[in-house]
Amino acid sequence: MLLTLVLITFAAAPLGLLARTAPRPAFGWLLALIPLAAFIGFGLQAPAVLAGQTPLSVLPWVPAMGIELRLALDGLSLLFGLLVSGIGALIVVYTASYMAGDPGMGRFYLALFIFMGAMLGLVLADNVLTLFVFWELTSVSSYLLVGYKHEYPEARRGAQMGLLITFGGGLALLVGLVLLGSAAGSYTISEIVAAGDVVKASPLYGPALLLIFLGCFTKSAQFPFHFWLPNAMQAPTPASAFLHSATMVKAGVFLLARLHPGLSGTPLWTLTLTVVGATTMLVGAAIAMRKDDIKGLLAYSTVSMLGTMVLLAGVGGPEAPSALVAIILAHALYKGAMFMVAGAVDHEAGTRKLSELGGLRRAMPATFAIACVAAVSMAGIPPLFGFVAKEELLYATTRNDLPGWLGLAVMAAAVVSGAYSVMYAWRFIRGVFLGERGRGVKAHVHDAPLGMLAGPGVLTLISLALPLGLLNPLEALLAPAVRAVGGPEVAISLYLIPALGLPLLLSAIAIGAGLLLTRAEGRIVAAPSPLPRWLSGDAIYDASVAGMLDGTTAFTRVVQNGKLRSYIAWSILALVAVVLPPLVLYGLAGLSLPSFAGIQAYELVAALLIPVGVLATLKARSRLGAIIAAGIVGAMVAFIFVIYSAPDLALTQLLIEVISTVFFMLVFAVLPAAFEKLSPRRTHIRDGAIAVVMGLTMAGVAYAAASSTALAPIANTLKAESLSEGFGANVVNVILVDFRGFDTLGEITVLMAALLGIYAMLRLRPISDPTPMSPRGERMPSEHGSAAVEEPGERELVGRER
Amino acid sequence: MYESIILRTVSKVMLPVLLLISLFMLVRGHNLPGGGFIGGLLAASGIILQIVACGPDTARKLIPVNYLQLAAFGVAFAAVWGLLGLALGDPYMRAFWIPQPIPGIGKVGTPVLFDVGVYLTVIGVTAQLALVLAEEPTLFPQQSRPKPVQPVAPEA
Repeated sequence: MLLTLVLITFAAAPLGLLARTAPRPAFGWLLALIPLAAFIGFGLQAPAVLAGQTPLSVLPWVPAMGIELRLALDGLSLLFGLLVSGIGALIVVYTASYMAGDPGMGRFYLALFIFMGAMLGLVLADNVLTLFVFWELTSVSSYLLVGYKHEYPEARRGAQMGLLITFGGGLALLVGLVLLGSAAGSYTISEIVAAGDVVKASPLYGPALLLIFLGCFTKSAQFPFHFWLPNAMQAPTPASAFLHSATMVKAGVFLLARLHPGLSGTPLWTLTLTVVGATTMLVGAAIAMRKDDIKGLLAYSTVSMLGTMVLLAGVGGPEAPSALVAIILAHALYKGAMFMVAGAVDHEAGTRKLSELGGLRRAMPATFAIACVAAVSMAGIPPLFGFVAKEELLYATTRNDLPGWLGLAVMAAAVVSGAYSVMYAWRFIRGVFLGERGRGVKAHVHDAPLGMLAGPGVLTLISLALPLGLLNPLEALLAPAVRAVGGPEVAISLYLIPALGLPLLLSAIAIGAGLLLTRAEGRIVAAPSPLPRWLSGDAIYDASVAGMLDGTTAFTRVVQNGKLRSYIAWSILALVAVVLPPLVLYGLAGLSLPSFAGIQAYELVAALLIPVGVLATLKARSRLGAIIAAGIVGAMVAFIFVIYSAPDLALTQLLIEVISTVFFMLVFAVLPAAFEKLSPRRTHIRDGAIAVVMGLTMAGVAYAAASSTALAPIANTLKAESLSEGFGANVVNVILVDFRGFDTLGEITVLMAALLGIYAMLRLRPISDPTPMSPRGERMPSEHGSAAVEEPGERELVGRER
Repeated sequence: MYESIILRTVSKVMLPVLLLISLFMLVRGHNLPGGGFIGGLLAASGIILQIVACGPDTARKLIPVNYLQLAAFGVAFAAVWGLLGLALGDPYMRAFWIPQPIPGIGKVGTPVLFDVGVYLTVIGVTAQLALVLAEEPTLFPQQSRPKPVQPVAPEA
C-alpha cells in the first residue's frame, strides 16, 4: 500500500507532459486527482496509525548488507504524508492557472510530480539508505524546478546554488547515516532509534551526529547555509510554495525529529541545535522584515521558522515535541497560502516589489481577505492556528532542559522573532493591499482566477477552522506524530484560550512589541541591515565556486595537457598509487625468490630476448626499427605462452602483435621516418623512472599472485568443472564465455566504447572545420581558400557516415 | 596503399582463407584452442590485409558491411542470450545447452552464442578502427580525397 502511494505519484509524472498540448486551468483540476488519491490513501491508513499500528512495506534489494526499500507509516510520516499530498493537490490546481499558456508547463509538472514522489518516499522511509536516495531525489527535482526559467542567469545560479549546497550536505549526510548504521548495527531507522542508548555510548556518535546535522542544516537552510533558500525563489511561485516553504526544506527538520527519540538529550545534540536554530530564527526574521521583494520576505521568514523548528528539536523538555509538530503544521498552512497569494499578486499586478505595490484591496478583494487571515496566522495573533502553535512554542521555551542562561536567551529570542513576525506580516499586508495604488501596478488589475484562489483559500480556511472547534480531533491526529518525536509517554494538548501564565505574557509582549515596531516601519526599513555584508553567504558561495573552477582548471591543465605522453604517465601513476602500497604492505611478505633449477636453454633465450627487445625499442633511431624491436618482445612473450602450454594466449598475442604493427604503420606513414630528440634529458629520466616503477609493480603483483598461498588456487576447480559444467574441453574459452562471461561482456563493451570514442574523434569533427592538419600540426591552407569548406565533396568526406 | 602487385594478388587469395580459418577457430573454440576473440582477430586481419594491399575503398566494396553497426550488433547479440536466465528467474547469463550435440558443430548453448557475439564485436571494432585510420584524410590525402590536396611544405 505504501509502496503504491509513492509509485503512483512517480508513475503519474509523465502525465504532466500532456500539459504541453492543453495548458488549460481545467487540466490542473484533473491532474490534481492524483495527489488527491494519495491524500485519500493516507487518510484511509490513518485509523490504523491512530490505533498505534505501523503499516510497513519492504522490498529487499541487497538483504545481506541491509539495503532495502523499506517504508513505514507512523504518526510523523502520516502528518508529513498528508501535508505533502494535500498541499500537493492544491499546488497542482494552482499551477495550471498560474502558468496558463506557458509552453513549458509540462516540464514543470513532470519535475513537480517527481518531487512529490520523492518527498513521499522520504517521509515514509524506514531505512537510512532508502531515506538518502529519496533525499537526494528531492534535491534533484528542486534543482529542475528552481532552474525552470533557465534562460535567466539568476535562475541558473539559484538552481546551481541550491544543488551544490544540498548535495554537499547530502554527501555528509550519507557518511553520517552509514556511521550511524554501523554504530547501531542496523540500517533500519526504527531499530536505530530503538538502540539509541547503544548509539549514544558509541565513539561514532559524535562524528555521525555532526555529519547528519550538516546534511539537515543545508537542506533546511540553517544559518550559515540559509542563503540558498532566498536564491531558490527564482523558481516559479508554485514550486516556491510547495518545495521551499511547505515541504522539502522541512526534510532536515523531519530527519531530526525522526532521530529525536533515540539520539537526543546529549549536550552535543541540545547545544548545537539550540544555538544554530535560535541564530537562524533571529537572523531570518531580522532580514525578512527589511525585504522589499515579497517572495524574498516570505523566504527569509521561512528560514526563520525553520530555525524555530530546529530549535524545538534541540531544546528538549515535555512540551517541545508537541510544539514542533504544531509549528510544522501551522507553518505549512499559512506559509503555503502566503506564497500562493504572493504569486497571485505578482501574476495580476505584474510586480513583486513592496515599493511598487499598494492599494490592491479594492481590485483584489478575495485575495486580500485570504492574505489577511493567513498573515494574522503568520504573526501568531489569535484566533488563528498560528497563535495556537506559537503558544506551544513559548511553552516549550519556558520548560526545557537547557542551562539557565541559555534557556533565558532562547526565551528572549523567541519573543523577539515573534515581534519581528508581526512586523513582516504587517509589511506584507500594508505594502501590497493598503494605501495608495502602487506605481508598478498594471493598469487593469482584477482578482485572481478561481484556480489560484482555491489553494490558499482552503489552507487559510483550515488555519481558521482548526482552532475554532476542531482542536480535539486535531489533537487525536497529531498525538501519534508527537509520540513518534518525543517517545510514548509524551502527549499533546492544544488550547485556543491558554491558561494565564508566563507563555501568555510572553505572547502578549511579542505581539505588543511587534505592533510598536510597525509604527517605526519607515526607520527600520531605511536602516542598514544589522548583519555584516560578508555574512550574507552569497559572497562566500561565489568565491568558493570561482575557486573550485580555478582549481579544477589548473588540475586539468596539468593532467590533461594534450600530450599523449603525460596522459599515459598520469594513468600509470594513478594505477601504481592504488596497487603498490597494498602490494608492499601485504603482498610481499612470505615471498621467496623463484628457483631457476631445471630451466631449459630455449626458455632462457626467449626470456632474455624480451629485455633485449625492450632496449632495442628504446634505442631505435627510426620508427620502423622501433616497431620491429617491439615485435620481438611480443613474439617472445607468445613463445613463452607456447612453452607453458597456453596456445590460446599465444594465438591471441601473435594476432594482436600483427594487428598493432599494422596500426603503427598506418599512423607512422605520415610521420618522419627518424625520431627526433626534442625532450630534455631529465624528461627521459623521469619517464624512464615511471616506466620502471610500473613494470616492477606489475611484475610484483603477478609474482605475488602466482605464489600466494593465502587462498586455494581456483584453477583446479575450473579445470575440473570445465567439461562437466561448461561442456567444453578448452578451459580458457569456457572461462571466457561461461564462468566469467560477465567479465567478457564488460570487456567487449569497453571495446565498443573505445571504438565509438575514436570514431567520434576522427569522423565527427565539426563540419565547419574540415581543414586537414599537416603532419606537424599546422593547419594546411586550402587551395580553394575558405570557400572550399562549403564544397559538397569535402563536406561529405568528413561528415559521411560509413 | 602500398603499390605491390604481389601483395594484392596474395591478399585476394588470403581473404577467403583467413575468413574460413576464423570461422573454424570460432567453432572449435569451446574444446580446442580458438574462440570468438581469436577468430575475430583472424577475420579482421584478413580485412586489414585488404586495406593495406588495395586501399580502404576496395576493402569496403569487397565486403560491404557497416563495421560500426556490426560491432554494436555483436555486443547486443552477446548480451541478449543472458536475458534467458532472467526470464526464467535465474541469474543473468545462466547457461542453457541443447542436450544433444549438433553434427559438425558440437554442443550448442548460450555460451557458444555469446562467443559469436564476441567474434562479431572483435571483427567490427578492429576492422572499423583500421578503416577509420586508413580513410583519415589528414593521414592519407591521396587515397581518400576526390581531389588530391597538395601538402604545402612548412616554411623552414
